[in-house]
Amino acid sequence: MDDIKNVIELSHVSKDYGDFKLDDVSFSVPEGSVCGFIGQNGAGKTTTINLILDVIRRDAGEIRLFGKSIDEGSAALREDIGVVFDEMGFHEFMTGRDINIMMKNIYKNWDEQAFFDNLKRFSLPSKKKCGDFSRGMRMKLQIAVALSHNAKLLVMDEPTSGLDPIVRNEMINIFREYVVREDHTILLSSHITGDLEKIADEVVFINGGRIVLAGNKDDILERHGLLKCKKSELEKISTSLIVSSEVGDYGAQVLVNDRHAAAKLYPGMVIEPAALEEIMIYYVNRARG
Amino acid sequence: MKGLIIKDIMCLRKQLTVFAFILVGVLAVSVMYVLSASFGNLAEVAKELQNEKNNLSARDVKNIATEALILFMLLPAATVCDMVFVFASDAKAGFVKVAATLPVPLWKRLLAKYMTVFALFGIGAAVDIAIAGVLCALGNILTFGEFLGIIISATSAMCIYSAFVILWCVVLGSGSEQYAQLLSIASLIALFVIGYFGALKNFFMALLTDNPDSLSEILGGPIEYIKDRGGVFLIAAAAVCACTYFAALKIADRKRGVI
Repeated sequence: MDDIKNVIELSHVSKDYGDFKLDDVSFSVPEGSVCGFIGQNGAGKTTTINLILDVIRRDAGEIRLFGKSIDEGSAALREDIGVVFDEMGFHEFMTGRDINIMMKNIYKNWDEQAFFDNLKRFSLPSKKKCGDFSRGMRMKLQIAVALSHNAKLLVMDEPTSGLDPIVRNEMINIFREYVVREDHTILLSSHITGDLEKIADEVVFINGGRIVLAGNKDDILERHGLLKCKKSELEKISTSLIVSSEVGDYGAQVLVNDRHAAAKLYPGMVIEPAALEEIMIYYVNRARG
Repeated sequence: MKGLIIKDIMCLRKQLTVFAFILVGVLAVSVMYVLSASFGNLAEVAKELQNEKNNLSARDVKNIATEALILFMLLPAATVCDMVFVFASDAKAGFVKVAATLPVPLWKRLLAKYMTVFALFGIGAAVDIAIAGVLCALGNILTFGEFLGIIISATSAMCIYSAFVILWCVVLGSGSEQYAQLLSIASLIALFVIGYFGALKNFFMALLTDNPDSLSEILGGPIEYIKDRGGVFLIAAAAVCACTYFAALKIADRKRGVI
């Protein structure tokens, strides 16, 4: 069996801002996968991405990209990384042509033809100032840039937030096309879990600066379940199975971390598969106490 | 790095357009001035100023004529590039975040800013030298060598100002460009005061004692200095650029995400 190569590896990474701490973060993203990085606003997703890209300095731990420590020259490693932020970052007076002139003098592998093809494919005019673009067009422009230098890893921070469902769907299709190649990997941060459910192979869930859950998305979805019961039945459920519960007027809903075990233990109770969003909400509720 | 220099120059597009208009204006006005000072009304005025009633020497009159010309020659150098625009434009667009993810190490990203300064002031100086050539051919207020001294001094002073702008923008971070501009002007003045403390002391003493002969002597001194000692300004500019570069690099590496 081939060894699974990790494109991103974080090991015990910490960053302390005083009022917020990213605490002992460890996870890895295998080559050829789409990793959904989920968490509520302020959970530490952007900080983690900035640490991975060496935009901010970490206090402790180790970060490896493509098997190499980022301390061994992160600038050279960035040649193979395409980055998409939630905001465009290019000057509003710039046109697609201007961006092409700038980028072809920065990236060694810049593919001018691919860039203009991408602009055409995403219906982006190359002569129009990007300040006049809609939010969706701005995001597509960033993706066009990220896809035009033969990047092996796409790191995206909330690329779909604030976009309408049609554009979001278009973007997810673009990501799908990108990962068709086996050596292409995506780290996609989002709090829109529906998008990640469609495309992600792996999921890393961060809350309050700590990794709560990490692993294969299908395994996580398979393992967790929403158990529905009467309020009086809540006490019967083993606490080791409960992530957290919500008690309403008509009964209780419990997120269990092993729905097959729960089904065997409590055959009379209804256990439904949980969506990523529900898993995220229940874990956040547990952290809040 | 070349891409970042191109981007910086793109940020200065508007300023470069203004620069082009200023250039045409300066050329027109300075040519008229030199012609008039050599053969026209200003030449007549200069003769009148040297009579007994006005008590001005030929050197004083030449200095007055030169001062106006120095001002004309300073304009292109002063308007070709203001790095504050670049930093403000980067901050507004959020480009700093993009720049930090490009395959360009920090030292090169910072060096790109200095290269932009050198490239644009180089262009400004080249254009100024061309104007100086025209002015020398038309009149004899200043020799080409004196013009060259003025241009080198002015360009060097602007390079020092720009180096301080880069340093202060890095120290203060995105969104504080206006403060950086004020601090850069203050730094430039402080450097000037430290460098020429003795001369400034004499100047103010002459002002306080109301000694016109001494004042005239002292006013003429800096003009002579600017004309003849362009090399000193150039060395000072090189030293300030080097010092601010290493200081800014150290700060930018510690702070991250400022350039």
